[in-house]
Amino acid sequence: MNIDEFLGYFKEEFFIKDLKSKSKNDILEEMVNHIADQSTLKDSTLILEMLKRREEIGSTGIGHGIAIPHGRTISVPDLITVYGKSANSIEFDAIDKKPVNMVFMIIAPPQEQSNTYLPFLGKLVDILNSKKVRKELINANTFEEFTLALAGGF
Amino acid sequence: MDDKQLRCLVALQDIDNMILESENEKKLGFKTKGINKLQKIREEVGQQINPSMLRAYERLHKKYRRGVVPVKNNICLGCFVKLPTSITTRGKENIVVFSCENCGRILYWLD
Repeated sequence: MNIDEFLGYFKEEFFIKDLKSKSKNDILEEMVNHIADQSTLKDSTLILEMLKRREEIGSTGIGHGIAIPHGRTISVPDLITVYGKSANSIEFDAIDKKPVNMVFMIIAPPQEQSNTYLPFLGKLVDILNSKKVRKELINANTFEEFTLALAGGF
Repeated sequence: MDDKQLRCLVALQDIDNMILESENEKKLGFKTKGINKLQKIREEVGQQINPSMLRAYERLHKKYRRGVVPVKNNICLGCFVKLPTSITTRGKENIVVFSCENCGRILYWLD
């Protein structure tokens, strides 16, 4: 996956610079509602149910203030990525037990012809391991600054 | 058969996908210790599905891995065969559960 393909999965309409919710479940719901508002999805509640069930396996909080709730569902036709940043510290039961303030939500159809979901997820985790990228992300207030921060870690 | 049955079938397939991919997720560093909880949730969702429909799903899941497939532009995205008009006109409401006449997979309309 090259950098253009990777960044191509992020859309400005799915960039939320100020998440309002203060709990894990409310954050998931706020972000899924945002997807529903910006797209023509038939049934967004199936997405929310899937994401909440995924959290039952184990938190998707990967540490350093970041969570990546994700999963596959037939309810979406293509891979959707949403990013949200919050001024609140959200309890996410993250791997390092620290609260979360940056959330990447990734939803994919059960099977894609290009099979990009897992490589994309892996690349994102890899990029977010960089302290420099995380610092730039938390300071990014526009979509352009956000993509530049990600590109810097590619 | 109603909308709730189809939604439960979709939920069941989403859970099956999670179980199948948990090993890959573990390799990426995600927590997956609660996988047993998901098996319990799967049973609960399964109990809400008509037994004959559940058997059909299990059979299709075993055969294809994906027992429920989306329909886009009136094409079954399991076998990529165009569906007859008699199905596409009624299927979009997702009120009745239809199967693809070619591959037998359960159909879910995205549009």
